[in-house]
Amino acid sequence: MTSTVGTEGQMGGQPLGQQAEFLAEKMAEVRGEISKAIVGQAEVVEGVLIALLAGGHVLLEGAPGLGKTMLVRTLAQAVALKYSRIQFTPDLMPADVIGTSVVQENGDGRKSLGFQPGPIFTNLLLADEINRATPKTQSALLEAMQEKQVTVAHTSHLLEEPFFVMATQNPLEMEGTYPLPEAQLDRFLFKLRVPYPGREDLHDILDRTTQGTAATVSPVVNGSQILEMRKVVRAVPVAPHVQEHVVKLTLATHPENRENLLASKYIRYGSSPRGAQTLILGGKVRALLDGRYNVSMEDIRALMLPALRHRIILNFEAQADGRTPDDLLDEIAGKVCAK
Amino acid sequence: MLLREKIKLLVPGELSGKACFSALRDFCRKFFSNHRTETRENRISLARNFDQRALSPELHGLLGALKTIRHRILANTILRGWTKWFGWLLIALIVVAAVSAKLAGALLFIAALAAIGALTIMIWSWRDRPSKYETARRLDSAAGLKDRISTAIYLGEIEVGNGLVAEQRQDALARFAKLDPNGFFPLQFPGNVRRASVLVLVVAGLFAYRIHHRPPLVSLLQTTARSQLVQSIFSPIVHAMEKDLQRTMALVSMKPDATGEETRRADATSNSDDLWKGNNDQEAGAEDQKDSADAGAGDQPQDQLQAPGNQEGNPTGDARQDSNSQSQQGKSGSENSDGKSQQQSEQQGPEGRQSLGQSLMQALKNMMSNSPNQQSNNRTNQQPPTGQGTPQSGNSQQPGATESDKRGESRGNSDAKQKATQTASEGAGSQQGSKELRKDQETHPVNAVPDRVALEASGFKDQTRMKVATETGTAQLPVRDQSPQQDAVVNGAEQENIPARYRFYVQRYFEHADNAKQ
Repeated sequence: MTSTVGTEGQMGGQPLGQQAEFLAEKMAEVRGEISKAIVGQAEVVEGVLIALLAGGHVLLEGAPGLGKTMLVRTLAQAVALKYSRIQFTPDLMPADVIGTSVVQENGDGRKSLGFQPGPIFTNLLLADEINRATPKTQSALLEAMQEKQVTVAHTSHLLEEPFFVMATQNPLEMEGTYPLPEAQLDRFLFKLRVPYPGREDLHDILDRTTQGTAATVSPVVNGSQILEMRKVVRAVPVAPHVQEHVVKLTLATHPENRENLLASKYIRYGSSPRGAQTLILGGKVRALLDGRYNVSMEDIRALMLPALRHRIILNFEAQADGRTPDDLLDEIAGKVCAK
Repeated sequence: MLLREKIKLLVPGELSGKACFSALRDFCRKFFSNHRTETRENRISLARNFDQRALSPELHGLLGALKTIRHRILANTILRGWTKWFGWLLIALIVVAAVSAKLAGALLFIAALAAIGALTIMIWSWRDRPSKYETARRLDSAAGLKDRISTAIYLGEIEVGNGLVAEQRQDALARFAKLDPNGFFPLQFPGNVRRASVLVLVVAGLFAYRIHHRPPLVSLLQTTARSQLVQSIFSPIVHAMEKDLQRTMALVSMKPDATGEETRRADATSNSDDLWKGNNDQEAGAEDQKDSADAGAGDQPQDQLQAPGNQEGNPTGDARQDSNSQSQQGKSGSENSDGKSQQQSEQQGPEGRQSLGQSLMQALKNMMSNSPNQQSNNRTNQQPPTGQGTPQSGNSQQPGATESDKRGESRGNSDAKQKATQTASEGAGSQQGSKELRKDQETHPVNAVPDRVALEASGFKDQTRMKVATETGTAQLPVRDQSPQQDAVVNGAEQENIPARYRFYVQRYFEHADNAKQ
C-alpha cells in the first residue's frame, strides 16, 4: 500500500465530521506503515499515536532490544516530521540538548554571541535511554516539553510545532540509571510498557530481520495535518458522567482522600490534574480512532494505566508489600466503578 | 443539632418564633427535596430539570423509546418491591394463623399494612425513578453502545452544526435504530415471585385448615407437653423447682420454737463427734491432761522446730496415719452427722427446723461447757512431750524411721535415748505430740482446731526398707536392702519439700547442743 502525504492544510476547510473521518483514515494508514517495521506491539503503537494526536509526549519503558528506538524512528518516517535523536549518557550536559550561545562572525567581520540550537529543535525528538543521563540534563527538557520553548541566556526560543518527545528508558532497577524527576515524569502524557513479543511475533521478527531487505516506510501525514487533527480531537464531546468518572478516578489516587484507604496506605503522591487532562484528551483521540464521536467509559478504563501509572508515587510501605502502580490503579478503578 | 445551627446562622442574636419557623421550613424543604445537594454528580443523576429541557426534534423518537424504557424500569421496580413486601406479609399471616385463635383483627391489620406498604413502595419508586439521562446510560450499558445515547441526550439541546455534535447525534441515532431497546428492558416478573406463590399456597391451606381446627402451633405445643419424653425431661426440673419453692415458703413461715426442738432431736441422732456434744470432749480433755503430765516442761522453743519434725519424722508411722484417718473420719463423721441432721430436719418438715439464731445459741452453750477441757487441751498441745526421742532429725526426717516405727520401736528408742541424754533441746516430741493430736482430734473432731496439726506423709509407708541409724545427728543413709527411689531423695527432703538448709540448720542445732553438753 502506498501512501502520499496530503497537501498542507488539507483538513482546514472541511467540516469537523469529515476531518474526524480523515483523521481516522490517516491514522489507520500510519499504523499500517509502522507495522511494516514493527511486529506486534499494537497497544504501544496505538498509545504513541494517541499521544501524538493529543499533543503529549511518550515515555517508553522496556528491556533493551524490544524495538523502542525502532518504533520511534519508524513513526518519524511515517509522519514525515523532522526527527533527531539524543543518546543520553551520564556525561551529557544540558547545553548538549538545548543548545548554547557561541561566538559567531558576521559577514562584516564583527563577532557576536549567537545561539546555536541543540538537537531539541526538531519535531520528533527521540531521547534514547533518558534515564542514563543525570537529573540535571534530564531537567533540561522540562521547559521544552511543557512550554514548547527553550530559554538560553535570557532569550526564549520557540520550538517548532508539532513538538513531540519520545523517550525510552530501561527499567529503573538496571545499573547506571538515574530515576527521572517527578516533575518530568508528569510531563509525559503516557508511560507505555513495551512487552516482550509473543511466539508468533517472534517468528515474524525473525523472518523479517534475517531474510531479505528491510521494509521501507512511507510518510502518510505531515506536521500541519497533525496540528489540524489535534484541533479535531478537542472538539469531541464528553458526557458529564464520563468526566465525573475521570474526576473520581483522579481524586481516588490522592492519599489525602480518606474515603480511599488504599491510596492513603500506599500512595505518597497522587495524580496531578495533568492526569485527568490526559484521560480526557486520550479518550477523545481513542474515540476518534475507534470511529466514535464521543468519549466513553471504556476509553477511560483503557487509558487509565498508561496515563496514571507514572503519576502516582508509591510510598515505602507499598514497595515493602511489593505493590506496583498498575495493580494499585486497577484496584482503585474497581472501587471507583463500584460506587 | 443541624436545625439549631441553622437557626443560629439565621438569627445570630436571639431566637424568635419567626426565625425558628423559617429555619424549620428551609430545613424541611431541603431535607425532602430531590435536589438535596448541588453537586455535579447529583445534577447528573437526579436532576429532574434535565427531563424538562427542550431537546432537538431529531431525538424525539429516541426520547419516546427512552420513556417506554423508563416505564418498564419503574414497573419492574414497583413489582419487585411489592413482591418482597407481600412475601413478608404472607409470612406474618402464616404466623398469625398458626398461633392466634382469632383471625379477624389480625387479618384487618395485615390488610391495612399491605395497602400502606404498597402505596409507600409505589410513591418511593416513582420518586426515585430514573431520569432520561439515567435511562440512556442504562441503555448504553445494556446494549454496549459506548455512551453514545447518553452523550446524545446530554447534547440534545445544542443546535446541530456546532462541532462534532451533529455527527455524534447521527451516530447515536444510527446505532439506536439497529436496536430493539424493549428487548433489553422487558417487563418481567420479579425473581422472588415463585417464593411468594408458594407462600400464598401455604397461607391458603393454613386458612382452610383453620376453618375447622384450632391453631396448629398451639395444638402441637400442647401435644408435645403431654408426651412422656418431654415429661421425663422436664419433670425432675419442675419437681426440684417446686420443692425449692415449698422450702422457701416454709422458711418464711416457720415457727422457731418447734424447729429448735426438732433440731436438737436431730443432733442427738447424729454422730458423737459433733461439736454440739460435750461429753466426749470432757473425757478427751481428761485424757489430754493425763498425757500432758507426761510431757516435760521447757519444750516451748522446740515447738517451733516441731513442725518439720512432725512433717518429716512421722514417728508413729501407721499409728499416726491412723490418727489422721481417724481425724478425717471424725470430720467426715461430723459432716455426715450434719448432713443427717439436716436431712432429718428436712424430712420432719418445717416444724422441725431450727432457726439459725437458736442453733448458734445452742452451739455457744456447748462451747462454754467445753471450754475448760479445751483450755486444758490447748495447754497440753502447747507443751510438747519432753521424753520423745532425741531431737535428731534422723528420727523425724529419715525414711528409715518408718521401718522402726513399723516395728513399734521408734517411740521406745527415742524416748530412752532422750531421757538418757537429758538435753535441753530434747523432745522434738513429734511422736507424743501426734498422739496428743490424735486424742484432740478424737475429742474435738469439729471446730476444735488443735494447735498442732497432724501432717500427712502418706509416702512414708513405701519407704520401710530404709534402715535408720537413730543416733543423734547422724546422717540417715540407706545401708542395705535399698532400692532408691527414682526421684533423688536426700534424707527425705524431696518428699516433704523441706528446704535442705533448714533441715541442716536443725541438725546442726542439735549437734551443737550435744557437743556443748559433752
